[in-house]
Amino acid sequence: MFLKMLNYLYGYVTITLPEEYLEKFINMATTRGIYLWGIANAFGNRVALNVRLRDVQPLRHIARMTRCRFHIVARSGLPFFIGRLRRRQALLGGALFFVIMLYALSSFIWVIDITGNRLISEAKIAGVARQAGLYRGVPKWSVDTAELEKSIMQQVNGLAWVGVTVDGTRLEIKVVEKVLPPDNGAQLVDIVAQKDGLIKEILVLSGHPLVQEGDTVTGGQVLISAAIPPLKIEEEDKNNADAVEKDEHQLPVQYVHARGIVRARIWYDGYDEVKLKEQVKRPTGQEITKLCMKIGCKEIILMGPRQVPYAHYVKHTDVKRLPTWRNINVPVEFITVKYIEQKIYNNILSRAEARRLAGNQTMDKLRLQIPDNAKILKTQLREVKTVSEEPIVRVRVTVETLEEIGLEKPHRSDGGGNGIVDGKDGSPSNGNQNNT
Amino acid sequence: MAWKDLKNKVKRQLSDYLELPGDIMLDLPKIVLVGNLQVFIENHRGIQEYNSCLVRVVVSDKVIEVTGENLTLRNIMPDEICVEGLITGLAFLS
Repeated sequence: MFLKMLNYLYGYVTITLPEEYLEKFINMATTRGIYLWGIANAFGNRVALNVRLRDVQPLRHIARMTRCRFHIVARSGLPFFIGRLRRRQALLGGALFFVIMLYALSSFIWVIDITGNRLISEAKIAGVARQAGLYRGVPKWSVDTAELEKSIMQQVNGLAWVGVTVDGTRLEIKVVEKVLPPDNGAQLVDIVAQKDGLIKEILVLSGHPLVQEGDTVTGGQVLISAAIPPLKIEEEDKNNADAVEKDEHQLPVQYVHARGIVRARIWYDGYDEVKLKEQVKRPTGQEITKLCMKIGCKEIILMGPRQVPYAHYVKHTDVKRLPTWRNINVPVEFITVKYIEQKIYNNILSRAEARRLAGNQTMDKLRLQIPDNAKILKTQLREVKTVSEEPIVRVRVTVETLEEIGLEKPHRSDGGGNGIVDGKDGSPSNGNQNNT
Repeated sequence: MAWKDLKNKVKRQLSDYLELPGDIMLDLPKIVLVGNLQVFIENHRGIQEYNSCLVRVVVSDKVIEVTGENLTLRNIMPDEICVEGLITGLAFLS
């Protein structure tokens, strides 16, 4: 390997000489330390061999001594390649131009990627970067990543960190947005009920509770108010005369960020019915695929049956067509149709089985409504009986859960009162409109 | 001639005794065969005959004859010859 590379660098020629002189020629060359290789029979009774370029002159001397003549048949190696290149200067220029252009074009930024932003738009960051002198096609040396980071940090609000990295011709702006804590204390927040229920327990961390354990609440009702009314004067303070009473009037209502845990019992209702006798279609596992080609409005079946051999089946069709370009539409389509055989079963259930099935189906439906952290306290399954005996089982399922219903909502000045508010009034859609 | 034989005998015994390789002490060729594809012959004295089915290489006092098909001399250096091709036989001629 190494020797071959060296030979290429030095350059070598392939010479031919008559077979009968070969032995003498080779022996003389090797004793003079000339390296020969690749000795093989050539056409006629001549032998070809390779020799380095710088050994050709001594070989002429040997040839004269052995009285034979050799012909150079091929030249290879770097020196000859350079010679050839010198004659084709346009090629050399083109290659050089290519290398220079590659180098020159790779010193510009061609792609700008902005990653990590969720709320802040890419256009905003790109706009700030544009002002700082970053655009597509800007030379790499004129981009100061540290400076760019600083200016983006300063001019775009809500960023916690900005990292600018140049990777080849790609510049990546990685941003991390600030995640603000959900509450900064500036906003007044009530705890309102998410759904209707019966309060099981209420734990007030801050705020004024408007409901008690055992109260029935409706969705949207304020449970813990942000407004804390002034403390009521206790009985013994009553004696301290009117001065205190006046003070009470002057005491302002205190506003806090309401916090607390409110757990309530909530009931969910579900209903389902199952027929005792039912026809069900099920796949048998047999299927057949038909492949056809549609040219214009003519259909050619390439593979598969002409007629579907099944009595009942489901058909899946997949149409592949060439992409349209401008308004040229190639009217050739490949259509793959898959027929899946179906069989009809008569599903006969006993009343108990049907009841269990209906119960399970209802529970599955109800589970979608019940949040994950809810604790199911009681499940009640009731069969709805009708007067006449029907081949249908109807069930009604009631699930009682214990779950947290408190939800933070901006405070409303008319907030809640102490009675039951209309459930619709506090719904999320219009709950925020009355803010003061 | 008897003197030369005696000298060779002493040399061989000495090399056996000292466990020296024979190709150095006795000026013998070292032949390495790689399958039937290549023969390396070290310590040669030049070639005597070459064509595509026969190569004769002179060694110290003998001639090595390599027979085969499509034989080529891959390289020739002052102390080593490499013959390539489909080798069918290797013989010593004295």
